[in-house]
Amino acid sequence: MITKFLATAAARLTRLFLRIMGRGATTLPGRVALKICPSIISRCAKGKKIITITGTNGKTTTSHMIASMLRALGYEVVNNVSGANLPTGIATTFLCEKPSRGADPNKTVYVLETDEAAFARIAKDLQPKVCLVTNLFRDQLDRYGELTHTRDLIAKGIFETSAKMVLNADDSLVASMGKKHEDRATYFGIDLQTMLDSNRLHPNKSILEASMDASFCPDCNERYEYSARSFGHLGDYRCPKCGFKTPAKRFELSFDASGNPSAEGFEFNMTDNDNSKSVTMNLKIAGSHNLYNTCAAVSAVTKFLELDGESGEEDIFERACGAQRSVEAAFGRMEKIAVGNKYICILLVKNPVGLDRSLSFVAQSDDADSLMLMLNSNFADGKDVSWIWDVDFESKADELPQNIYVSGQRYGDMMLRVAYSGRTVDGYGSLEYATTLLKGALADCPEGKCIYILPNYTAMLDLRGRLVKELKLKDFWKN
Amino acid sequence: MEKLVIGHFYPDLLNLYGDRGNVLALMRRAQLRGIEVEVKRISIGDELKSGDIDIGFIGGGQDSEQNIMADDMRIKKGPVIKQMIEDGVVFLTVCGGYQMLGQYYEEHDGKRIECLGAMPHYTKGEKERFINDTVYEIEIGGKKVTVAGFENHSGRTYLGEGEEPFMKVIKGHGNNGEDGLEGVRYKNTFGTYSHGSLLPKNPAITDMLLELALKRKYGADYELSELATETEDLARKQALDYINGNTNGITNDL
Repeated sequence: MITKFLATAAARLTRLFLRIMGRGATTLPGRVALKICPSIISRCAKGKKIITITGTNGKTTTSHMIASMLRALGYEVVNNVSGANLPTGIATTFLCEKPSRGADPNKTVYVLETDEAAFARIAKDLQPKVCLVTNLFRDQLDRYGELTHTRDLIAKGIFETSAKMVLNADDSLVASMGKKHEDRATYFGIDLQTMLDSNRLHPNKSILEASMDASFCPDCNERYEYSARSFGHLGDYRCPKCGFKTPAKRFELSFDASGNPSAEGFEFNMTDNDNSKSVTMNLKIAGSHNLYNTCAAVSAVTKFLELDGESGEEDIFERACGAQRSVEAAFGRMEKIAVGNKYICILLVKNPVGLDRSLSFVAQSDDADSLMLMLNSNFADGKDVSWIWDVDFESKADELPQNIYVSGQRYGDMMLRVAYSGRTVDGYGSLEYATTLLKGALADCPEGKCIYILPNYTAMLDLRGRLVKELKLKDFWKN
Repeated sequence: MEKLVIGHFYPDLLNLYGDRGNVLALMRRAQLRGIEVEVKRISIGDELKSGDIDIGFIGGGQDSEQNIMADDMRIKKGPVIKQMIEDGVVFLTVCGGYQMLGQYYEEHDGKRIECLGAMPHYTKGEKERFINDTVYEIEIGGKKVTVAGFENHSGRTYLGEGEEPFMKVIKGHGNNGEDGLEGVRYKNTFGTYSHGSLLPKNPAITDMLLELALKRKYGADYELSELATETEDLARKQALDYINGNTNGITNDL
């Protein structure tokens, strides 16, 4: 008890100190606390209602959606700041982010985005009620190792808890975690007919297929047979040898495949097959990958409400869907920033599938005037920039905006990537010139149109600083 | 019109670290010269006959994925690949693909994995991985060319009799961190640890491979037509500047 007290005090002092120094304090207080009291996370988590969100892509957005929805449903929500998803960040969240005064502990939920590798280490300490796994894609392999290894780590973490799993059925790697644990697993995904329609209406135009993960069943080494695909390795798959296939989904998202599923406000249906209920909803955050994130969030929230003693109520699913209306874009993600009467929109891209989805999104946006790609290669980004070649630029090149600019530490590599897709760049330069390029792009941008910027992690951090300092934009990103 | 068939081996398994970029570079620099290009995907269960392809590309994969295809490659396709290599078919192999053409891969605990045995080199696994930017030098047509890349491997490869190094290491570790050599050349087969992807930024190598393949197909007096390399050269120069720590701001608002 005394060590917990000391650790808490030290964490808060550290945070106070960092705040006075004008620094963000999202991980250091937790680091200090973990040094003093290594069991601080399990002590803090004890008795709390926790939802964890892990997986390669969509963690931040989905966590943000879940938090907004639970707030709209009357819960007090504590969640970690974007990116602070390692044990240090989670300890910081527990020690420094308190529920508001007078909040009912029974109505307080901790919504924690958790790094895939860290999840295995702290799941036991957290003992969450619900574990949501969004997807597994290749990320920085030098940091995370093999994908099946990442899957095994997450599964190990989950099985040290009694949590219910909410799993993406369309991702064979994620879905396989529920094998032999059907009593604990709930699956979500895109409706098969929607995928089939979409594949028929939008045939793959690739001149050279993109590199794909998880083509083979890891148990039998047989190639999966796909009847339909959504993107990457997500789709309707089946192993011809062991018969493992896309599990039956309780929560299914369907839409009219002739529409633009990337557009903000796009109409779709969410169905709860257990209760034969269907609700029409609108996409709150643009980008077709956010259909998956929305589907995941509604599934996790419904599951949580059921576990939280509301299972007698029939309208839980509908209430979860209704709460989705309150969702708005998270800071720095799909958020349009007005510069006069023109816009810039920053989409963080960290890995091949993220870049692929963002390029598709920009290609489908009707307000895109320019595209700016920014590539850094610091440790946090991955030192190797080869991954940009895994992305199928070729199939989207014709639909990308008229003007393309490249910047970042490795602008040369990105310029060549664009060139080999059959397009030429309209301007390039190192980080120091990013705002110069942007100013030029803004000057040429028609009113009401948008410049989409796709930076990787440290390029985004650098750009934010420059936007504030050099373009005199308001600091949108301070919490 | 000339036609070039590129065989992409196990693209659904061996596709780490931008291997796709090498195939794309070969395609693009051939197509821009008016050469028709066909890319054949050759994976598990697909038949392979000698004469099917003009250039073969074999990349690297995650361990679990290499385990899936190892038998198919060694047993089913091995004899044909060996024959192709002896016959002078052009191959570019990267990382795992390079190792697999050799004799064996010995893990650091002593466990030995038999490889194709098409060439005499062999590889020993070590715990420490070489993960860094790389600079190499190669002589092509009597001209020294600086090459930019990236390496990420725990295997140490040692060349055998009759094998030439592909390049000389200027910065980085190369085959084994000891002898200053990078990759292998045997007849028209090349092996390398360089990602990056290797070919896009280094068009001299792309063109060398294309020319070897086309000469083999259309006769020794076939000459590859001139094609600009400005964009590639600019990208390579910028990468080399970055690798060498010369990161002064450069811009060109075209």
